[in-house]
Amino acid sequence: MSSLSALIRRNTKLFFKDKGMFFTSLITPIILLVLYATFLANVFRSSFVDALPKGFNVSDGVIDGLVGSQLISSLLAVCCVTVAFMSNMLMVQDKVTGALSDLTITPVKRSTLALGYYISTAVSTLIICFIAVGAGLIYLANVGWYMSVSDIPLIFIDVFLLVMFGTALSSIINFFLSSQGQISAVGTIISAGYGFICGAYMPISSFSEGLQNVLSFLPGTYGTALIRNHTMNGVFNELSDIGFPSEVIENIKDGIDCNIYFFGDKVEESTMYLILGGSVVALVAIYIIINVLKRK
Amino acid sequence: MSNIIEISNLSKSFGEVKAVQDLSFKVKRGELFAFLGLNGAGKSTTISIMCGQLKKDSGKIVVDGADLDKSVDKIKSELGVVFQNSVLDKSLSVYDNLKSRAALYGISGNAFKDRLNELSELLEFNGILKRQVGKLSGGQRRRIDIARALLHKPKILILDEPTTGLDPQTRKTVWNVVSQLRHQENMTVFLTTHYMEEAADADYVIILDSGKISAQGTPLQLKNTYTGDFITLYSITEEQVSLLDKPYEVIRDAYRIAVPSTADATKLITKYPDIFTDFEITKGKMDDVFLAVTGKRLTGGETK
Repeated sequence: MSSLSALIRRNTKLFFKDKGMFFTSLITPIILLVLYATFLANVFRSSFVDALPKGFNVSDGVIDGLVGSQLISSLLAVCCVTVAFMSNMLMVQDKVTGALSDLTITPVKRSTLALGYYISTAVSTLIICFIAVGAGLIYLANVGWYMSVSDIPLIFIDVFLLVMFGTALSSIINFFLSSQGQISAVGTIISAGYGFICGAYMPISSFSEGLQNVLSFLPGTYGTALIRNHTMNGVFNELSDIGFPSEVIENIKDGIDCNIYFFGDKVEESTMYLILGGSVVALVAIYIIINVLKRK
Repeated sequence: MSNIIEISNLSKSFGEVKAVQDLSFKVKRGELFAFLGLNGAGKSTTISIMCGQLKKDSGKIVVDGADLDKSVDKIKSELGVVFQNSVLDKSLSVYDNLKSRAALYGISGNAFKDRLNELSELLEFNGILKRQVGKLSGGQRRRIDIARALLHKPKILILDEPTTGLDPQTRKTVWNVVSQLRHQENMTVFLTTHYMEEAADADYVIILDSGKISAQGTPLQLKNTYTGDFITLYSITEEQVSLLDKPYEVIRDAYRIAVPSTADATKLITKYPDIFTDFEITKGKMDDVFLAVTGKRLTGGETK
């Protein structure tokens, strides 16, 4: 146990001391913030206003709350996975620098080493993502707060699960990397690509049906949907309170990926949790197994 | 002296490349054992297998009575390894590095502090405990590498080309520490090196070439087997040297004659006492042994 905690402390310290790795992990959220500041906020806003049924007036506060909560959910969904990938690059860097050899000559089991990387990555990512949740909530309090008390713990649970998923996925992919060039390549692909496939830059519902079906197989999609549902739940309740018909609200939810359909069938929230939780367990198991089996 | 390492019929291939081929040797407890060979000779592969980092294809490895196939963790706790390049975390302090590595051997709390005090005194790094490893000089870093290898009081210290790239003064310091450790703790030292003078100081040397043992023995045995003696003659003329009817080499202020053995040298001296008034007899060097055995010359980490 002391070996595992020592590994976790070491890995976490190294991540936060390595400024390159730390700031690179924040690239995607920063890109998203820049996109939001330059044009995404306006796109979200105008698409929502255009979609309003005739005769309905919505205050600027509600629209700001809706656009803001959509941004926060996108930001968190991206952070949970991209920060995990970058934080987990330590396992590749250890191969490159030879530090891994220094760890594997000790009597510590390979499964312990693997868990050390997994937990420290999860811890580092959770620290950053929880700070991001806090910052997001402060932002929403300023632009338009409609969340209920029960939404907040659910957002933390969603972020926790999505971080566990991102960490497990990155653990398996990074396991097969062994050079600085591969680190850069994967980092770039994840940073640039994940924002699209998770629906952060544009809603999945705006993609072609085929692509939507492909993305419905990715567990991360459900993580994004969960966060989005819980950050936006208060705004939807407000819309309902001011008289929006439930069909209209459902249409809005469809349009911004709060509702996910698996080949036409709507996936319930409880199922989303099962998919996300189950995939975390499965991916962690695969990660531990490939580590234990690895000895050239 | 009993054997602390026994390796028999060890083989390992990477695809078509036979890195180690049917290697068998023994290392005695407390001795300085040297593995000599070019890059790719199989030295690092053998060490990696011993440390449980690579799987062997065949053969048997027993370290201090423990079979690698059955007790890899026990063997790992008896080995301390100084890698060719420092593998500590450069952005962490010396203290954090040593603390995190010690914990992997179950050493923490007061046990760690006591061991750290012992090692910092022995290797004189007390003043740099809080400094980042990446900001240390080459010599300082090497001392910390050695300290890391010794944290768990291993019975065998593996030094993988430990002095490559170090200045002569630091090399001397490293060897003084290693020598002190051997005598204080009866530690076995398993050395791989490119430096002939380091191999010459070993108790036993194995020369590896293309994954096979080309020669083995004490430095004296190797020199006697694979090289002759050299007689250096001073204060004579070339005409006098040619009277000996032996091939000779002209050096700055003397002539050097190669003879097959010390006995032959003695015969020559007694036959020509007038010529041998100022001379010295020296054994061949490990460079000559290596050249004779492998047909390759190796100096300070580079082949020629």
